[in-house]
Amino acid sequence: MNAGMATIMGNRTLPRLLQTPAVVLLLAWMLVPLSMTLFFSFIRYVLNNLRKPEWTTPSIDNWRGWGNYEYVLYKAKDFWFAVENSLIIVGSIIVFTVVLGLAIAVLINRTFPGRGIVRVLLISPFFIMPAVNAVLWINMILDPVLGLNGLAIGGINNMVASLTNAPLVGWFFALWPVIEPISFRGTETSAIAVIIMVTWQWTPFAVLIFMTSLQSEDQQQKEAAILDGASAWSQFCNLTLPHLARPIAIVVMIQAIFHLSLYAEIEIVSRGNGNKNLPYLIGEFASNNIGAASATGILAVILANIVAIFLLRIVGKNLMD
Amino acid sequence: MAGLTLRNVAKNYADVNVIESIDLDIKDGEFVVFVGPSGCGKSTLLRMIAGLEDITGGTIAIGDTVVNEVAPAKRGVAMVFQTYALYPHMTVYKNMAFGLKQAKTPKDEIDKRVRAAAEILEISDLLERTPRALSGGQRQRVAIGRAIVREPSVFLFDEPLSNLDAALRVQTRIEIARLHQRLGTTMIYVTHDQVEAMTLADKIVVLRGGNIEQVGSPIELYETPDNMFVAQFIGSPKMNFFKAEDLTKKGQAMLKGDVDRLGIRPEHFTTTDVKSALVVATPDLVENLGENALVHCITEGGMEFIVKTTDLTKFKQGKKIGLTADKARVLGFNSTTQKRIG
Ligand SMILES: Nc1ncnc2c1ncn2[C@@H]1O[C@H](COP(=O)(O)OP(=O)(O)O)[C@@H](O)[C@H]1O
Ligand SMILES: [Mg+2]
Repeated sequence: MNAGMATIMGNRTLPRLLQTPAVVLLLAWMLVPLSMTLFFSFIRYVLNNLRKPEWTTPSIDNWRGWGNYEYVLYKAKDFWFAVENSLIIVGSIIVFTVVLGLAIAVLINRTFPGRGIVRVLLISPFFIMPAVNAVLWINMILDPVLGLNGLAIGGINNMVASLTNAPLVGWFFALWPVIEPISFRGTETSAIAVIIMVTWQWTPFAVLIFMTSLQSEDQQQKEAAILDGASAWSQFCNLTLPHLARPIAIVVMIQAIFHLSLYAEIEIVSRGNGNKNLPYLIGEFASNNIGAASATGILAVILANIVAIFLLRIVGKNLMD
Repeated sequence: MAGLTLRNVAKNYADVNVIESIDLDIKDGEFVVFVGPSGCGKSTLLRMIAGLEDITGGTIAIGDTVVNEVAPAKRGVAMVFQTYALYPHMTVYKNMAFGLKQAKTPKDEIDKRVRAAAEILEISDLLERTPRALSGGQRQRVAIGRAIVREPSVFLFDEPLSNLDAALRVQTRIEIARLHQRLGTTMIYVTHDQVEAMTLADKIVVLRGGNIEQVGSPIELYETPDNMFVAQFIGSPKMNFFKAEDLTKKGQAMLKGDVDRLGIRPEHFTTTDVKSALVVATPDLVENLGENALVHCITEGGMEFIVKTTDLTKFKQGKKIGLTADKARVLGFNSTTQKRIG
């Protein structure tokens, strides 16, 4: 080893050389699927077409330009519906989990007998598989006949019916209509079912993150606020919420990433009837039209990025300082 | 402004008795320091006055009102915490304005008071910063400012200087003393540091194990401590106690009646010939502090003690020396009752 060699292998070159395989691998990992999807989105590519068998192989000869995109954006009826639904589902779940998560975390942060068990029970929904969660909710709780939903409404109806014959007050109950249980597999309600079950499953995640953060809250600040005459609500708004800004940002970001790609719940609740998000739409296209599926996939990537930038702008600021 | 009256005040946590029964009168405008070793219940007592801890026995009155059941914010007290406890997400201005805002004070009144307090504490140009962007000393000032703007009748300080470095501690101590002169408000100050207690207090309350050992002015505690604990706790280095075997004949002659210990502060020794000495000792080690020196000596009975002196020429390591002190400076104690006699 001489001085010349040392300059060539300067204190930057060697580490970079050693990093190269990992970097190349990671790039390939990302770039290959993305470029293939991009390529497929510009060609005609279907799994099965008897009249045009040449479309069943991916080839540059089947170039379609923006055709797949035009088809997805303007002709296929479900795209904009799926975009809207994706955003509604993700947005609602985030709002509900954060609000519920905050409430529960604050509630169980104080000491009470059995706190350990309550905490474990609260966290447990998070360990259930999404598909199992969906099956349990849609069949055992939300089902209008056999689920808790149906049983409870049935019970109320029976009680009202039996009270119509009661003396004095019977006439009042006779005025009551028979209540219909809501069917959560219906066109308008299936998204609500998905929101309910995912909120139930992910609230524990929010609780877990908020709870850890609440434990690091400075108690003397609270005491100072008490001496300053701050009510419990004022303490929550002025001290606890700002203290939780960062964990809230984390919960929002992570959930946005996860819930944009919900699939199992939508499949199980209504098989996409009245409730589709982008992944589900891609899945539907992909049963035959790979070109359209790829174009939708690229659009989904763009949407995810818009959402990410948007969220980074609003909540990400908290992560920076 | 108001004085305080504590009667039979006690505190239990479940079955642990932290404060037994405290009676104390604090005059309006007095600067009172609670001092004592760590864990003796100083903070607990202060927090009971503030209303942050329930009072499990006795009564606390601020002015003429018993405040046992009064909400902390309604007691007219303001507290400066050891960790400052500034609100991290608010600017200095908002930190100071927060209490007034909660009390629905008009905006221009808040502004006037905050700016006046900032003026006093020389933090006017920090008002738009957040606590994160302040140094320890500046945070301390903001914490004091937050207390001042509420114009309380009693200020409470819980070890406010212990997070500052030595130089800043001295400076802030002086500023707190000045603040008391300027505002004339009753102040209660908790510390485990007897120097802070001596320099700041009109009245020192020495606590140990949830009990008051002695209440008095700094000079009273220094000159006439009630017992051996107070004698050793006040003054640095602490007072030396001599048994009969450590003393000369002349020294032993001072052990009369119940007195079986002589207490002499390190700074009260003078050197003399062996014949007229109270204690004959062998210098063992010297710590030279510049303005004076601490000489660690060993008595003939084998006990180590400290002499504070400005003249080191008399002390030769290993060479016996006679030590005496002004009669008025020699205190007699009984080691069984721990009390001072006479
Ligand atoms: N919440 C509590 N539960 C039980 N013991 C406590 C509690 N808070 C303080 N103590 C005890 O009370 C004693 C006095 O505490 P404190 O007032 O903080 O002492 P200090 O004089 O150091 O300020 C200590 O022995 C401490 O262990
Ligand atoms: Mg303390």
